[in-house]
Amino acid sequence: MQTFDAHPFDPPDGVPTLRREVRDFIAREAPKSDAASRANCWAVCDADFSKAMGKAGYIGMTWPVEYGGHARHPLHRYVVLEELLAAGAPVGMHWIADRQSGPLLLRYGTEEQRRTHLPSIAAGETYVCIGMSEPGAGSDLASIRTQGVRDGDGWRISGQKVWTTNAHNAQLMIALVRTVEGSQRNEGLTQFLIPLDTPGVTVRPIIDLVGGHDFNEVFLDDVHVPDSARVGPEGNGWKQVTAELSLERSGPERYLSSYAALVELIRFAGPDPEPVLAVLIGRLTAELWTLRQMSQSTAAKLAAGEDPALEAAIVKDLGNSFEQELPRAIQAALDGAEDLSAATDLTRVLALLLQVSPSFSLRGGTREILRGIIARGLGLR
Amino acid sequence: MSETRTLLTDTADRLFTDLAAHPDAPFAEVWPSIAEAGFESLLLGEDEGGFGGDWGDLFAVARLAGSHALAAPVGEAAVAAWALTRAGLTPAEGLATIAPAVDGCVENGRFTGSLKATPWGGAAQTVVATHAGSLLRLQTTDCRIESGHSPVGEPRDTLTFEGAVAEAAPSDIDLLACGAFLRTAQIAGALDAALAASIAYANERVQFGKPISKFQTVQQTLAIFAIEAAAVNSAGQAAARAADAGVADFEFAAAKLRANIAAGQGAALAHQVHGAIGFTQEHPLHRLTRRLAGWRSEFGSDRFWAQRLGRRVAGLGPDGLWPELARRSDAA
Ligand SMILES: Cc1cc2nc3c(=O)[nH]c(=O)nc-3n(C[C@H](O)[C@H](O)[C@H](O)COP(=O)(O)OP(=O)(O)OC[C@H]3O[C@@H](n4cnc5c(N)ncnc54)[C@H](O)[C@@H]3O)c2cc1C
Repeated sequence: MQTFDAHPFDPPDGVPTLRREVRDFIAREAPKSDAASRANCWAVCDADFSKAMGKAGYIGMTWPVEYGGHARHPLHRYVVLEELLAAGAPVGMHWIADRQSGPLLLRYGTEEQRRTHLPSIAAGETYVCIGMSEPGAGSDLASIRTQGVRDGDGWRISGQKVWTTNAHNAQLMIALVRTVEGSQRNEGLTQFLIPLDTPGVTVRPIIDLVGGHDFNEVFLDDVHVPDSARVGPEGNGWKQVTAELSLERSGPERYLSSYAALVELIRFAGPDPEPVLAVLIGRLTAELWTLRQMSQSTAAKLAAGEDPALEAAIVKDLGNSFEQELPRAIQAALDGAEDLSAATDLTRVLALLLQVSPSFSLRGGTREILRGIIARGLGLR
Repeated sequence: MSETRTLLTDTADRLFTDLAAHPDAPFAEVWPSIAEAGFESLLLGEDEGGFGGDWGDLFAVARLAGSHALAAPVGEAAVAAWALTRAGLTPAEGLATIAPAVDGCVENGRFTGSLKATPWGGAAQTVVATHAGSLLRLQTTDCRIESGHSPVGEPRDTLTFEGAVAEAAPSDIDLLACGAFLRTAQIAGALDAALAASIAYANERVQFGKPISKFQTVQQTLAIFAIEAAAVNSAGQAAARAADAGVADFEFAAAKLRANIAAGQGAALAHQVHGAIGFTQEHPLHRLTRRLAGWRSEFGSDRFWAQRLGRRVAGLGPDGLWPELARRSDAA
C-alpha cells in the first residue's frame, strides 16, 4: 500500500515565461493593497481586476476557443492560479465561475447555454454563485428541499438557499433542486441555471463575524424558468454536484489562503532571524512545500483524466489544517509586545486570519466530512 | 526509469519480505543476500558496474526497506558507494556506511577524531564522511568501536580514530542531507505499513458488537494517519525528483522535516488503534514504530532542519520564498 503515489507535474514548455507574464500582469493590474487584503484573496472581489484578467486570457484558460476560452493546458492554468494566490490578487469575483460553473456547463450544459454564458464568464464579466446549501441541508446536502415542478414547457422553483457566496454580485446561480416530489435523498435532483434577476428571486445579505458581506441567503418564490435553464438531464443533479465538488477540493486555494501571513512573518523576522522564528519559518516552509507537491500531483492526475477523489480530500483537509495552524503558530511565537492591537502589517493579517480561518474547514465540505471520504477510500466504511 | 523501477522494487519487495520473516537473524547472515542482489551499486552507472538507478529508484527501495522494518543499511551502502565514485575515491571494500556527524580534523592525510552514531559502523569495513568541504574515506580496521544502539536495537556505533589514514577529496556532497533523504524514504514506508496494519486490525477487531473500524472516531483517527503518511510519501518522491534534476538541498531538508513531524504522530496513532496487543513484543507493530521513533532524530532533528531551512528562507526575504519555490520546481 502506498498512500500517495506522486504524479509528476509536467506542464508543457513555457512555464517560466508564463510566470513572468502573470507576475507582470499582477504588478500592473492588481490594486496596491495591504497584507490583510492579500490574505484569503480568493474571497476578495474586484470586478475591474476580474475584467482585466479576462482581457489577459486568464479566465476560462482551458476552455475551447469557440466558447471564449483559450485552449490552454490545465497545468498552465494551475501555474497562473498559484501565482495569483501567492501574490494575494483579488480573484474572488470570478473564482467560482472559472473553477466550477464553467466546467460544469462545458460538460453538461446545452450548446445554447455554453454559447450564451461561457464567453462572458471568460471575459470576467459574468459571475456565478452556487446554490447548494439550505437551512436544513449543510453537510447532509442530499436532504435539500427546494422544489421544482413542471409547468408547461418550463419549471416553477420554490425554496431557500443559504451561505450563497457572491449572490449579491453574481448574475447567475446554479441551484440544486428536487424535481421529483417526495424523492429520497440523492435521487430526483436536478441543477438549474437561474438568472438572479428573475422575478421571485430575493437575495439577502448575511454579514460574517468580521462584518464582511461575502455570503447571502437566496429565496426562490415560485420562480419560473424555461426548460432551457436545466443543466444536464433530469435527476442527474447529484452526480453533477459531486463532480463539481471534486474540482473544488485540491486546488492551490486550499493551502495558500494564509500565505500572506507567512510573507509578513519573514519580513518581521528579518534576514538573520532569532532561533525561535527561524525554526517556525522552516517548519511552515516544509509544510507549504509538501502541500504544494501534493496539490500539484493531484492537479496532474486530474489533467491526465484520472479521478483522484481520495487525494483531493487529503489535500483539502491537510491544506485547511495548515492554513488554520499558520496564523496560530505565528501568534504563539510573537513577543508579548506584539499584541493584536498593534497596527503593523503582521498583526493586521494575523488578526484577520485568526478570525476568518475557522471557515476554511467548513467551506467546500467540513473537515469531518472530508475525513469520512478518506475513511471510505481506506476501506473502513 | 519506471520499467526498470518495477523490476527493482519487485526484487526488493521479495527479498525484504523473506528477510522480515526472520527478524532476529544475525546481520552476518542478512547482509550477503542484500549485497548479492546488488543494491549497494544502485546509484552507480552501468559503466561503473552499477544498476544505473536514480534517486527515485533509491527512494523506492529505501521506502520498501522501511515498510518491511529491514534491519540493514541498504540505503547507507548505496549512498556510500555513490559518494566515493563521485568524489573519485577508491571504491569501498566490503560493507560501506555513512557517518552522520564528524568531530575531528585531518592533517597530512591522517584523521584524528570520532564519527558518532554511525549506522552499522562496527559491521562496516569502509566509512564515508563529509568533513570541511571534503569527502573522507576511512577503514574501520583503524579505529576503536564503541557500540551504540537505536531504540529498536540497530547498531549506531561511535568510531574513534587516531591518526588513521584517510583518503580525502574535495566534494560538495552533503552526507547528512543524503542520510536525511534515506530516513525520509524509510519513514514513508514504515508509516504506510503501520497504516495498513492499523486498517486491517480495525476491520478485524470486534468490540461493542462490531468491528472498531465502524466507529466514526476510529475512522477519523485513521484518516488523519493516512493524511500524514501521504504527506511524507509525496514529500519524499518530490525530493527524489529534485535530486534527479539537480541540487536538492532545499528539498531534502523540507522532506526530512515533514517526515519527522509525521513519524511522531503516525507511530502514536498506530498504537492507539491497536490497543494493548500492539504494545507486546510478540506483535510486529513495534518493529515499525520503534524504528520511527529513532529515525525521527537521525540525520537531523526537527529543530536542526527547521533552523537550517528557516535561515535560508529568511535570507531570501519576504518576496523571495515564492519565486524560489517556483523556480526550483520549474527546473525539475
Ligand atoms: C465561507 C463559506 C462560504 C460558503 N459558500 C457556499 C456557497 O457559495 N454555496 C453553498 O451552497 N454553500 C456554501 N457554504 C456552505 C458550506 O458548504 C456548509 O457550511 C458546509 O457544507 C457545512 O454545512 P453546515 O454549515 O450546515 O454545518 P453542519 O452540516 O450542520 O455541520 C456542523 C458540524 O457537524 C459536523 N457534522 C455534520 N454531519 C456530520 C457527520 N455525518 N459526521 C460527523 N460530523 C458531522 C460538521 O463536520 C460540522 O463540524 C459556505 C460556507 C462557508 C463557511
